[in-house]
Amino acid sequence: MAANFWTSSHYKQLLDQEEVDVVHPLDKEKGITLAEFKLLKMHMANYIWKLATHVKVRQRVVATAVTYMRRVYTRKSLSEYDPRHVAPTCLYLAAKAEESTVQARLLVFYVKKMPTDEKFRFEIKDVLEMEMKILEAINYYLVVFHPYRSLSQLLQDAALNDISMTQLTWGLVNDTYRMDLILVHPPHLIALACIYIASVLRDKDTTSWFEELRVDMNVVKNISIEILDFYENHRINMEERLNVAMAKLGSTIHNLEILQLTPTSY
Amino acid sequence: MGDGSGNRGVTHSNNNNNGGGGTSNKPEWLQQYDLIGKIGEGTYGLVFLARTKTPGNRGKSIAIKKFKQSKDGDGVSPTAIREIMLLREISHENVVKLVNVHINHADMSLYLAFDYAEHDLYEIIRHHRDKVNHAINQYTVKSLLWQLLNGLNYLHSNWIIHRDLKPSNILVMGDGEEQGVVKIADFGLARIYQAPLKPLSENGVVVTIWYRAPELLLGAKHYTSAVDMWAVGCIFAELLTLKPLFQGAEVKATPNPFQLDQLDKIFKVLGHPTLEKWPTLANLPHWQQDSQHIQGHKYDSHGLHSFVHLSPKSPAYDLLSKMLEYDPRKRITAAQALEHEYFRIEPLPGRNGLVPFQGEKVVNYPTRPVDTTTDFEGTTSLQPSQPVSSGNAVSGNMPGAHGVPSRNATRPPMGMQRMPPQGMAGYNLAGGVMNPGGIPMQRGVNPQAHQQQQLRRKDPGMGMSGYPPQQKQRRM
Repeated sequence: MAANFWTSSHYKQLLDQEEVDVVHPLDKEKGITLAEFKLLKMHMANYIWKLATHVKVRQRVVATAVTYMRRVYTRKSLSEYDPRHVAPTCLYLAAKAEESTVQARLLVFYVKKMPTDEKFRFEIKDVLEMEMKILEAINYYLVVFHPYRSLSQLLQDAALNDISMTQLTWGLVNDTYRMDLILVHPPHLIALACIYIASVLRDKDTTSWFEELRVDMNVVKNISIEILDFYENHRINMEERLNVAMAKLGSTIHNLEILQLTPTSY
Repeated sequence: MGDGSGNRGVTHSNNNNNGGGGTSNKPEWLQQYDLIGKIGEGTYGLVFLARTKTPGNRGKSIAIKKFKQSKDGDGVSPTAIREIMLLREISHENVVKLVNVHINHADMSLYLAFDYAEHDLYEIIRHHRDKVNHAINQYTVKSLLWQLLNGLNYLHSNWIIHRDLKPSNILVMGDGEEQGVVKIADFGLARIYQAPLKPLSENGVVVTIWYRAPELLLGAKHYTSAVDMWAVGCIFAELLTLKPLFQGAEVKATPNPFQLDQLDKIFKVLGHPTLEKWPTLANLPHWQQDSQHIQGHKYDSHGLHSFVHLSPKSPAYDLLSKMLEYDPRKRITAAQALEHEYFRIEPLPGRNGLVPFQGEKVVNYPTRPVDTTTDFEGTTSLQPSQPVSSGNAVSGNMPGAHGVPSRNATRPPMGMQRMPPQGMAGYNLAGGVMNPGGIPMQRGVNPQAHQQQQLRRKDPGMGMSGYPPQQKQRRM
């Protein structure tokens, strides 16, 4: 249901990590490895985030867009669903779903302003066609729950809602969209993992607070480790590795713009 | 051009370019349905009646709502997106069930398939008012109201406000296992109100004003679930009297004009609201701005009971007056209403709202009119005398407004049954497109099954006591 996570389609659609970590056969043929698949999705998430700063939509809309994109690639291949079309169109669709509609022509205008290969063409028609393909690919499940809402509530409950903790945890949550966590874990557990990491970084004693919560701390810790691993893994040779992956996809996405990777909470 | 099958190859290759709209003149997803005809039309698009062909469900009636590509070149309309988004999450006996979503990539249209409901409160009320000339029996009123509240309570407890409740959006199932069960429909304007990104009033949508709550009429920026309860109160009164309770004349302008006449109609029945009874009234924009009319305090009488012919001491009146409470914060909620004494006294509400106690007459409500001459493209097809060559005949009458000519040019009327055309002009469904030249249509081969519908359609005027013509747009 729309406001209760546990009865929502989001909850029912959660996948196991192993189900998410499947490279589509068509992409496999091109030599895309699992690591590269993840890297490309992360790159697309970054792209959506950056595009959104031009289009000026709220963070929740961006988060929904990234989630749509990740859901698409649990079912469809990068080869058939051109990431250069999928990424901006996910933002377009998410904006509609979150009631902050962005005009297609405006979206196209901003896409063209983003640094890109001259040969790359992206017109309104591409947005509209891809919108329908995405709707189909995500099986018309449009409601997405995000960690942000639980985050504010939890921080308040833990009396950690000072500016510094809020900013740090908020940034950590943003960064979780560079991973597939939103497809695998309930959002409030992702929020808790971010609070956990932040409280360790900021030396806050939250042990008793966490103990009082009736949640599986193993899961929270595992998510935290995943987030920390992600930061560790993506410090080095980012651009180079991304280029290799893109070259493998060949004509499909070699033009995808390469962004400066700056996870917000390093 | 030949018949439909002769064009397969061409159509096929054209469609492939568009990501697979279909493999023949009939798109693949459509092949699971037999189209019966068009049953409604709105600003969003058209509604069709179809029957499933898939084994197991064969013959099951389905309402298919087709969304047009929005005119502003902005893809799937946000209304459709919101409706799908909510319907995909919702599951309740008293809420319409979305059974399928289809996309036709070739012409970029979107189809929502629902379980079909034969009746709705608009038609039921109209039937009693104009045909049988007697009130709806108390069992039916109570059962329909209870189920409406039950569905609404489910929506509200899940933070969904419907925002456009009116008799034509409250469907009632016809013959079958679910006979007489209420289904709340049309979620195009519905909202999840837990955390809206924008004030809920900012969408510029115009909905029927007769069921609109006073706080909205007075310019409140934020909707609460209480607006739906006001509408239920209006519908309750209409079920009792067969007349819309507050029938204001709508001011047509954008955005959100001040509907003085509608407020006046409400004040006349309920008396003027006062700051005493409704303290936050003072904060409402139109109350402040238009003090002359609004605060004028013309009407003191609180004559609701005489309007609805109820004793002021009856539980029915008590419930109704609590739904029509001015202050939205004091207005009864769906959950409270379900617990009201009215539902605990005889006759008790039941699941089949249409079949009352033994001994009482079962009203034979008419079935929905079906325009069988319109195909999924919304195109009127004139039936040729030889069905075999329908492809040619149809193409000759296509207005050519589809945008994908390669595919539509030779499209036959998909799975449509032929029907006698009498009374067609009366439905007012297809507007100018239907039978543009007044060309006589072919007499049908299967008139029996649809006789009842035909009879009903013959009288378009029917002394519509309360209703201005064209008031209704069927929205599923």
